[in-house]
Amino acid sequence: MSHIHIPDGVLPWWLWVTGWVATALLLGMASRMATRTGTRRAVPLVGAISALVLVAMSTEIVPIAYHVNLTVIAGALLGPWLGAISAFIVVLVLALVGHGGITVVGLNTLMIATEMALGWALVHGGLRLLGSRRIRPVAAASTIVTLAITTTMLVGIVALAGSGATARHTGALDVETLEFRNPFSGDLINVGLLGGDDHGHDDEHEADAGHDDEHAAEAGHDDEHEEGSALSVSRFAAVVYTLGPIGWILEALVTAGVLGYVVRVRPSLMLRSVNAPPSASARVGDEHGGR
Amino acid sequence: MDITAVDRSAISGDTLLHRAAPSSKLVATTLLLAAVVSVNDPLVAAGLTLSLTGAAAAVRLPVRQMLTLALYPAVFALVFAFAAAANVPLGALVVLKAVTAALAVVTLMFSTPYPQVFAPIQRVTPRVVGDALLMTYRSLFILADKFSDLSRAIRLRAGLSKRQPVRAAAATVRAMGGLLLYSLDLSQREYDILYLRGYEGGFRVATRRSADRSADMAALAYSAVLLGVVAAFRWIPGLAGYAWLVTLAGAVDLATGALIGRRRR
Repeated sequence: MSHIHIPDGVLPWWLWVTGWVATALLLGMASRMATRTGTRRAVPLVGAISALVLVAMSTEIVPIAYHVNLTVIAGALLGPWLGAISAFIVVLVLALVGHGGITVVGLNTLMIATEMALGWALVHGGLRLLGSRRIRPVAAASTIVTLAITTTMLVGIVALAGSGATARHTGALDVETLEFRNPFSGDLINVGLLGGDDHGHDDEHEADAGHDDEHAAEAGHDDEHEEGSALSVSRFAAVVYTLGPIGWILEALVTAGVLGYVVRVRPSLMLRSVNAPPSASARVGDEHGGR
Repeated sequence: MDITAVDRSAISGDTLLHRAAPSSKLVATTLLLAAVVSVNDPLVAAGLTLSLTGAAAAVRLPVRQMLTLALYPAVFALVFAFAAAANVPLGALVVLKAVTAALAVVTLMFSTPYPQVFAPIQRVTPRVVGDALLMTYRSLFILADKFSDLSRAIRLRAGLSKRQPVRAAAATVRAMGGLLLYSLDLSQREYDILYLRGYEGGFRVATRRSADRSADMAALAYSAVLLGVVAAFRWIPGLAGYAWLVTLAGAVDLATGALIGRRRR
């Protein structure tokens, strides 16, 4: 559950606008930190790693038809600040090819940036404690913990969206009183457009004795409708926590496999942070065991 | 999800939409997304989806490839709808919103090169973010080609077959490891190039102008009409019973668009 697969227009506007504002602040801070590291170093590194994540996300593992995210690996290589920039780029490009909504780019960026920051902290912390020989279990455990936390974040976002204050409803279409009216019956002209009442039942709304009761019943019906159509957080959480662990395990296996391969080929690569301030002659490919 | 196919269509396509200015298409896409966010009736949403597909077919965009991408989020939206929506119409609305928004964005991307879409984003984001966005675009196609080569080599040497799933999965993971190392080398090469060229931050993208003003007007008018329809059905409750007319109009748009697209061929 690396990013929110929630379409545009489902979450309340204040939630996704908050996501965009928080992302703007995060990007401002991240770019300041990246400039300190050196723009010339940061730009190609973030570009290459973001592209790698995008390629991974567009490639399925044969034959299990699962697409990996590599966010923990990207975080471990980029660190939290460059990771935040990379998260925004990945989410934006994915949204531009229809994979995730445009309005939720802010929230998705926060989710993936959190994944990358957690991945960086857990992988590097684990390696310091256990050494590079334990890279596979460290990578697998870090991935599972990271994904479990971000999945909980996702459930939290849906809980915020689905609370009573923000309950959304299908509005015009009432499931219980679903109707298909004929526009040529003259009804359309009477209703709504040219001075008729909202529901097109003028007679029903006359000020007769039952007027107040009718409105009270209608109000009750609206509340019921709104409540009934709110997002079901508990069901969502049940589905996510049932399916999620399968994805966590697969991602953990892939992350462990890739980092295990990297450490075998270039053992020192994971032992230093590649986003450390570069010296004039420092090269990413020049570590011990490199070419 | 074939990102390179999107780029091919955007660069080499020659449709009415390709001739419109990127800025007009971005505004039109924003209006369509506003329509998707506002729509609250699945029948109106279905009308939007059908009409957009018809419009894409009419201007001869590669509709099949576009639908493959646009239907991809429907799978995830379906899971979300199943998990979170309280009733079937709300679930259908969630799925249709996902497909329609994806279709709107994919239509933009199939007719506009990435750098032209990134240019306005670059203006509002910090310099390092905008530059990294363009660098990602450059690296993406290099890495996609490299991964394709690596996968082919593995298939020929080790055999990526469904009969040996564990071996095939392990081979794919190794290919990703190789790709990771390659991407670090690529970033180093790009760093060297930037260093030699005296890069200090700030790539510039020359924005393209319109080659056909009528294409701009058509794109803007079409998306404004769709937004207007959605707004009417959202804020005039008396129209609720007539939402099926929007679906019908969308179906007519689709049929007409398919006919126009076929005739032009």
